[in-house]
Amino acid sequence: MNYLNAKSAPAREDRLKTNIAFGGTCAQLKGCIKAGCFGSNGCLNLADRRFTETQGCQFTLSLAILNTLRNAVIIMHAPIGCGACSIGNVGVNKTFKQLRDPSAEGVVWLSTNLDEVDVISGGERKLREAVLYADKEFRPETIIVANGCVPALIGDDIDSILADLQTQTAAVIVPIHCEGFKTKVMATAYDAVYHGILKKFVKKPDRRQYLAEPDLEKLKEQYRISRNVNVLNVSSMSRQDELELQRLLNAIGLNVTFIPCYAEPEDFEYALESSLNVSICGTHDDYFVQHIREKYGIPFLIDTIPIGRRNTDRWILKIAEHFGLEKEARQLIDVENKLLDESLEPFRRVLSSKRAFLAGGEVRIVATAEILQDLGMEVVGFKAHHFDQFIEPVFDALEQVDDVVIHVATNQPFEQANLLKRLKPDVLITHTGGNNIAAKHGLPILPLFGPSYNYLGYSGVYEVARRLNRIVRNPQFNRKLAQYTRLPFRKEWYEKDPFSYIKNQDAVVSEEAV
Amino acid sequence: MSSFVDRPRYACALGGALATLRAIPRAIPIIHASAGCGHNLHNAINPGAGYLGGGYCGGLALPSSNVAERDVVFGGENRLREQIASTLEIMDGDLYMVLTGCMVEMIGDDVDAVVSEFEDTEKPVIAVHTPSFRGNSYTGYELVLGSLIQRFITRQQQKEPGTVNVLGIVPAQDVFWKGNLKEIKRLLERLGLRVNTLFGEGETLEDIRNAGKASLNIVVSDVYGVEAARKFEDIHGIPYLVTGFPVGAEATGEFLNTVGNALGIDQAHIDAVVESEKQVYFDYLERLADIYNDLDLQRYAVVVGDSNYAPAITRFLSDELGWLPELVVITDFLDDIRKEAVARRFDNFESGLKPAVRFDTNTSSVKKYIAEIWPRNRNQRYYDALNPTVLVGSVYERDLATEFGFPLLTVSYPVTNRVVLNRAYVGTSGALSLAEDLLGTLVAGR
Repeated sequence: MNYLNAKSAPAREDRLKTNIAFGGTCAQLKGCIKAGCFGSNGCLNLADRRFTETQGCQFTLSLAILNTLRNAVIIMHAPIGCGACSIGNVGVNKTFKQLRDPSAEGVVWLSTNLDEVDVISGGERKLREAVLYADKEFRPETIIVANGCVPALIGDDIDSILADLQTQTAAVIVPIHCEGFKTKVMATAYDAVYHGILKKFVKKPDRRQYLAEPDLEKLKEQYRISRNVNVLNVSSMSRQDELELQRLLNAIGLNVTFIPCYAEPEDFEYALESSLNVSICGTHDDYFVQHIREKYGIPFLIDTIPIGRRNTDRWILKIAEHFGLEKEARQLIDVENKLLDESLEPFRRVLSSKRAFLAGGEVRIVATAEILQDLGMEVVGFKAHHFDQFIEPVFDALEQVDDVVIHVATNQPFEQANLLKRLKPDVLITHTGGNNIAAKHGLPILPLFGPSYNYLGYSGVYEVARRLNRIVRNPQFNRKLAQYTRLPFRKEWYEKDPFSYIKNQDAVVSEEAV
Repeated sequence: MSSFVDRPRYACALGGALATLRAIPRAIPIIHASAGCGHNLHNAINPGAGYLGGGYCGGLALPSSNVAERDVVFGGENRLREQIASTLEIMDGDLYMVLTGCMVEMIGDDVDAVVSEFEDTEKPVIAVHTPSFRGNSYTGYELVLGSLIQRFITRQQQKEPGTVNVLGIVPAQDVFWKGNLKEIKRLLERLGLRVNTLFGEGETLEDIRNAGKASLNIVVSDVYGVEAARKFEDIHGIPYLVTGFPVGAEATGEFLNTVGNALGIDQAHIDAVVESEKQVYFDYLERLADIYNDLDLQRYAVVVGDSNYAPAITRFLSDELGWLPELVVITDFLDDIRKEAVARRFDNFESGLKPAVRFDTNTSSVKKYIAEIWPRNRNQRYYDALNPTVLVGSVYERDLATEFGFPLLTVSYPVTNRVVLNRAYVGTSGALSLAEDLLGTLVAGR
């Protein structure tokens, strides 16, 4: 795989044949994976809906990563509204950055504010002014230029303009081509951002060269590198999550660097002095790690996400295998499991037999289901943002989910509302954003992720259990909302099949699933 | 010629339109745009407006055609037709409004033609052109109101004397919009008027439909809602009155007098209302007599806000709280005529003070203006610092506040560090809340 000579990363519909509309059971979905429907055949690839609700684009998701980069100014080359979602990030962004670097600044962005005149005559002048202003005013290490739909449609030659500006700025300028209309698979954003990072940040660090390198220094250096791994974090992870993963890998003798989120630009250089790139989620990282392997020969691991005991065991073991540290890993896994298993007992007494529905990113929901099963809960349904090949290994940790409904939809709360009426779960575990709808079902809701809570590793299992136990104790807030507010869907909608608005009916394998 | 903006304090026309529809019960937006527009704007409006939430049909429930690259090639009209039809099947509303984003406007979709195919549906479907490149949230408010005035509000020859509409408070951009509308309504009702604020507590789509019977539109802003008021005048023959945004006893008194006089209300009645408002107001404010003077709670102030809040709060600080507003930064896009209108609000403060007023949309500029208006410390032994100061602004001013050690009260959009429900800052009740919150920050450590 090498797309780096191209201006931007390809859409995932094309590169991974990702699907965004499907309804069926887990067994049927696995069958589809085997038959290649999510892969090279891609027969479900173009499935879509006759009715759609808003869903986020690669521009907004790109910002979720870009906003975390330290010492950077972001230029949103777009009309005034694009990227306004960063407003929600103003406060927490600085706090989270300071957990990594106490002197870090919060997020700063400029909008090029393209107006009706610019739509006709091009946005070059404003882009130039914004870049030069950012460089002079904020003196950042990096100026990131993320472009929205409008410059892409009017055909601004952004790369040439930025190449010219690069001769006038102290900051490194990084173009990110992430116009929203290019793809309906939001996760293309990860590729768009990594594309820019790979082109501008990733290069061998400028180390001092010895005139005559002593053997001992050389060996020390090689040894150091042979114990380094990069763990690719995601912006939805917390610092606690990172510390837990670091603790586990340190325990088997490895050193950990976290990139890309909350990293400094030079961290990407030192990241090349490493023996393995470890993804915690295939949805995020395959574009980056494959390119790094091709260009710098660093191998990678994309397997499962360390959420839940079995997934965490498996994740550690896979890494340990690469370094020949299986014995150490097994010892660690045994100790951790024993302690954790006992600690979960009190929560199992409360939670077992409760029925749960999970909605969010494909990898995350299936992995989180393992925690629920560990607590004796029953999983009654999944809703995944999208589906592609990266889901397969995560299913291994689950038991008896073949008959469980799985629904693929990026957001689309109307379908979820219909499903929930049928499935009648006791508790929801959901992605953020759609909860003005989900809450009105009157059920307790645990957010699927949260950048200030621990979900990953063994401690994450305990934290999720502890919070679930707390949340089910008193769902009165949502219950009252359900009592006194109503959902915006017509009652006829609930009588229809929840998947009846999916256009390509090949993507609805079983209507009797629900 | 417009310029780039360092951290804009508004979303786009589509964002303003969505926020305005969010304020109308059972109005269903149908976004015709790229997939991300609705999601992005919800994530700006919700946290920025003190956690306004998606509401009945907002947030990720917003119907949206989600047009993508292949629609750009073939045009998005078929997709829009399908989306309107399916929205009518699924979403339960009383008014459906098609709002456009940049992309479909650029590829030239004939949205009006597609929407006109739905003329005979039971509930109205109306198109509004709201691409981001047309303007910011305030523009979106005007565009939605303009459409409602033109296509939804019933034309009525017979006006009801004593019935008024209130314009100029922009939902979400005014973070305290609903509380403010309630207070304006309360004050006007005291004059004996029937008041329609269009988006207020307990008001419904029917109130909007019947807005054509009002005999006066009151625009509580020098800038926002003026265009809508003109349209009301053209189409429905309703005259309008621009009053500015009243905060505090004096401003409220003037507001009631201006409106009362315009409607020919008996002066004695107006005087009695104003008098009783002031009595209640000073009965509360008097509580501060001890602490204000015991602790010397006079402060310098720097005010950063929009064309409604900045002048109104500055005047309240100067003329009622007895503070020293030194710098005011107004953060809207304004042409010269509007700038003049807003600047005039800073003339003739009763205190005799004359704060420096700057119009600037860049967040990083505020700090530079402080350096401009106040002499720097050149390491002299005795330096008259701008201190103690309270900063009244948005959450963007937090870094500045930290750097200078100024307490910060966030009042103007975005306000992500507070949860806002029915709080108001307008009128006399609102001014009391403002006094509570301002002085509250000063005693928080006690």
